[in-house]
Amino acid sequence: MPTPSIAGVDLLRGTLDLLILRTLLAGPTHGHAIAKHIQRTSEDLLKVETGSLYPALHRLEAKGWVAAAWEISDKGKRARVYKLTPRGRKQLVAEQSKWETFSRAMRLVTNPVGQEGQ
Amino acid sequence: MSQFCARLRALLHRRTKEDHLHDELQFHLDQEAEELQAGGISAEQARQVARRELGNATLVHEETRAVWTWIGLEQLIQDCRYGIRTLAANKTFSLLAILSLALGIGANTAIYSFMDWLLMRSLPVANPESLVVLNWRAPAGSSRDRVVHGMSGTTWKDGQSGGTIAGIFPYPAFDLMRTHATTVFSSVFAYYPTRRVNFMANGQAEMASGEFVSGGYFSGLAVVPSAGRLLGPADDQAGAPAVAVLSFAYSQKRFGHAAKAPGQSIAINDVPFTVAGVAPPGFFGVDPAAAPDFYLPLHSGLLLKNDFDKALLEQNYYWIEMMARLRPGVSLGQAQAALGPLFHRWVDSTVANERERAKLPELQLREGAAGLDTLRRQYSKPLYVLLAMVALILVISCINIANLLLARATARRREIAVRLSIGAGRLRVIRQLLTESVLLSSLGGALGVVLAIWGIRALTVLLANGREDFTMSPGLNWHVLGVAAALAILTGILFGLAPAIASTRVDVVGALKETRAGQAGRRSRRFSSSQMLVATQIGMSLVMLLAAGLFVRTLANLQSVELGFNRESVLLFRMNAKQAGHRDPAMQTFYADLQNRFRAIPGVQGATLTNSPLLGEGTMSGPLLPVGVKELPGASPHILTAGSDFFATMKVPVLFGRGLGQRDQFSSPVAAVVSEAYVRKYFGGQNPIGQQISMTRQAPLLGDLTAQIVGIAGDVRYGTLKGEFRAIVYLPFDQPWPTGDVTYALRTSGDPLRYAGTVREIVRQADPRVPVTDIKTQAAQIDQIMNQEILFARLCSAFAMLAVLIACVGLYGTMAYFVERRAGEIGIRMALGARRGDVIWMVLRHAVALGMAGLALGLPAAFVASRLVESFLYGIEPTDRVTVLVSVGMLLAALLLAGYVPARRASQIDPMTAVRGE
Repeated sequence: MPTPSIAGVDLLRGTLDLLILRTLLAGPTHGHAIAKHIQRTSEDLLKVETGSLYPALHRLEAKGWVAAAWEISDKGKRARVYKLTPRGRKQLVAEQSKWETFSRAMRLVTNPVGQEGQ
Repeated sequence: MSQFCARLRALLHRRTKEDHLHDELQFHLDQEAEELQAGGISAEQARQVARRELGNATLVHEETRAVWTWIGLEQLIQDCRYGIRTLAANKTFSLLAILSLALGIGANTAIYSFMDWLLMRSLPVANPESLVVLNWRAPAGSSRDRVVHGMSGTTWKDGQSGGTIAGIFPYPAFDLMRTHATTVFSSVFAYYPTRRVNFMANGQAEMASGEFVSGGYFSGLAVVPSAGRLLGPADDQAGAPAVAVLSFAYSQKRFGHAAKAPGQSIAINDVPFTVAGVAPPGFFGVDPAAAPDFYLPLHSGLLLKNDFDKALLEQNYYWIEMMARLRPGVSLGQAQAALGPLFHRWVDSTVANERERAKLPELQLREGAAGLDTLRRQYSKPLYVLLAMVALILVISCINIANLLLARATARRREIAVRLSIGAGRLRVIRQLLTESVLLSSLGGALGVVLAIWGIRALTVLLANGREDFTMSPGLNWHVLGVAAALAILTGILFGLAPAIASTRVDVVGALKETRAGQAGRRSRRFSSSQMLVATQIGMSLVMLLAAGLFVRTLANLQSVELGFNRESVLLFRMNAKQAGHRDPAMQTFYADLQNRFRAIPGVQGATLTNSPLLGEGTMSGPLLPVGVKELPGASPHILTAGSDFFATMKVPVLFGRGLGQRDQFSSPVAAVVSEAYVRKYFGGQNPIGQQISMTRQAPLLGDLTAQIVGIAGDVRYGTLKGEFRAIVYLPFDQPWPTGDVTYALRTSGDPLRYAGTVREIVRQADPRVPVTDIKTQAAQIDQIMNQEILFARLCSAFAMLAVLIACVGLYGTMAYFVERRAGEIGIRMALGARRGDVIWMVLRHAVALGMAGLALGLPAAFVASRLVESFLYGIEPTDRVTVLVSVGMLLAALLLAGYVPARRASQIDPMTAVRGE
């Protein structure tokens, strides 16, 4: 599965959390749409497993980073819609900067400037 | 916190959340299917693909659920359910285990509740932690070289240095503290017991005891009245109106209701007082050992006691006790540093000579939150011994259960192997097994608390042993329940952990393939840990048996102490006519008349009176010595004033000369009878009859005195049962006696207590103002003196029996298991011609070996333990050979019996069945 799985579970989990929170920044939506959005925007490079998505959503809800409510979808079905909370927004900023630091570190190691010169 | 609540909610509303999750996932599936359908796949196919994409739906549920709630708690509930099923499946085992744990935990809880009462309680007053008790400590040495020339109160030995500690001071020292310690103390107050007085209210006389208190006592303790007012500084002055404050309970007893008491007129020792108010319920003064009925201003002692004015001025007479309240922010250490030198300077100014200066008492401040520690000094060591005993019992029963669980763990190998093989983690299985054992011990603990309630009551009765002034009344409180709960959980883990670990250390494949016969190979290992446990149990039982043996022998020694008088069929009772207003010499006639009337009761063979009972009270002593003899080191002779017929009534033999009769008047020379011990000590065995003895020093009760010896009486126990017979001088009772206290003794036929009613009636007719108190038989009085020894002998015997019983059950279990395991082998041996005796011996040998191992463990431990209780023993060495042999013998006999039952069963094995079983 092309979920980013570089380091241990914590990183993986953190990454999924980041992806979900970032998706919800655009507006409240339900689980299926979140999965599809991640898949689409990553040009199908990232595919979120349902098996990890829902536990993750409930975990974020338990932490108070997202809030959930039952709403009627545009097709008239009951859907559980998730929304970013103010605390979630703060968390998103923190996660994002952590991720950026991490990916910068990865870039620096895998493409060292010195090597490019040789 | 919010997460905690959310999880708790989740646990409670699980069903709805579960439904919601289901709906949510269904929506996901529908959505997915719709999209796939839009891509051109048939509806049926789309649903299938969507479901496949979702993966294991149960797992998704499971993982999401783990987010909501505590997986641990859920598993715990699951484990408990399973545990209850397992326990219910083994009813006998469970019941036995729960019962033995309940006994152990119950006994521990009961005894601990006494410790808790004794050690953890604070005085029921505001801010008890700022209270301090004032004591002094003097280095070891003769009391003669001490600045303390006279005293009334208690001193005790300092455990470490052998010095003397006391809480009594001269009144001027109290004045010093009151005026000079104001920088560290916000108040200093003093008190002194009234001892027993005649308390007359509503025309009814009764004996009661109270406390003289200084004016700052109630305000210093910060107590508020429940009716009327309490005593203040204005009451505590010479010439102030005589007022009293009653305890709540006593006001109810005498006036029916606390509110009715204020303003009532009462008489204390025939002196009129007015009740000013009532103390709050639950207030018992400053000493948990006492429960004063009333409180009087200190200066009212001028009305009630001779020479009280002198006591208030005397600098070398130590009698008054003090407490103080620290100012806020002042520590005990700071107060000590400030007042130590102050007291030192003062006491230094009161010395009579340089020898006294060398051993001056030093002030010692002690925390006063718990009040005085009279009870703690008296009971904490016996309670520690009892606590050690019941703790041992609990350990023995824990070992027993551990052993049984170990045996059961082997039986459950298959079950556990199945669990491990289908993927349960080892820790998870251990947790399951531990849950079972803690469940078991919790049930035992719950039942134990019920037993403890009963045990506390029983122990209170045993400790009080008929004493009316017994104040300890512990109950269950949160500390005690907490300890019981902790004990239950701890024991559960203690006896469950080893078997749990052992049973999960399984070779799964081997265990699954195993049959009964196949297990024989691993027998040795499990057996050895079980053997160790049984041997330990046996060793511990030996410790308890030996202790019980020593205590029983101690009691027997005390009971067989030669008293020198006949204790059977004697009725004792006390009265004090002086406190009811009688005065000499009419009082002597009053007492003599009563004696004659008691003697005339049908069934009474003799009646006499003394100034104090022979036993159960202190003695009076003074240097009443042959003329020209200097006082020998050690105690002065003990003095007892005895009425006519004393020797005949108590059945004390008069060896030479005569006893004291009615014609002996208290005029010089006074007739005196001395004991054999006196003759040995002061006359070296020479005939002393006709010799004069005299006392010149001013003693508290008797002044200058010369007496002529008219007879020699046999040795008698006076004041104490232990030690050598004391040198006693008997003087005639018929004399101006200062305290007015008398004890009558009646020799009766039949049960002495039958005469109690008649005695009361006679005294009531003579003078209803004189109450008769302490009516008891001489035998019961002696029992009360041996209270602690009786308690120890009874409780320890019971505890030791219990321990041996539990150890026997343990041994029985182990041996039964041994026989079961080796049934095949035994069958083969029998088939090959072994006789029954051989088989029995083969099994018994094993039991004996275990017993010996236990003895090897237990004997050294028992010797160490018996040294610890040495101070409780009388007339017996802690390593008394007979007691050791008897304990060992009893233990071995019990063990043989426990081993014989399985041995006999082994001998009845049918060889055919056993061999076929293989």
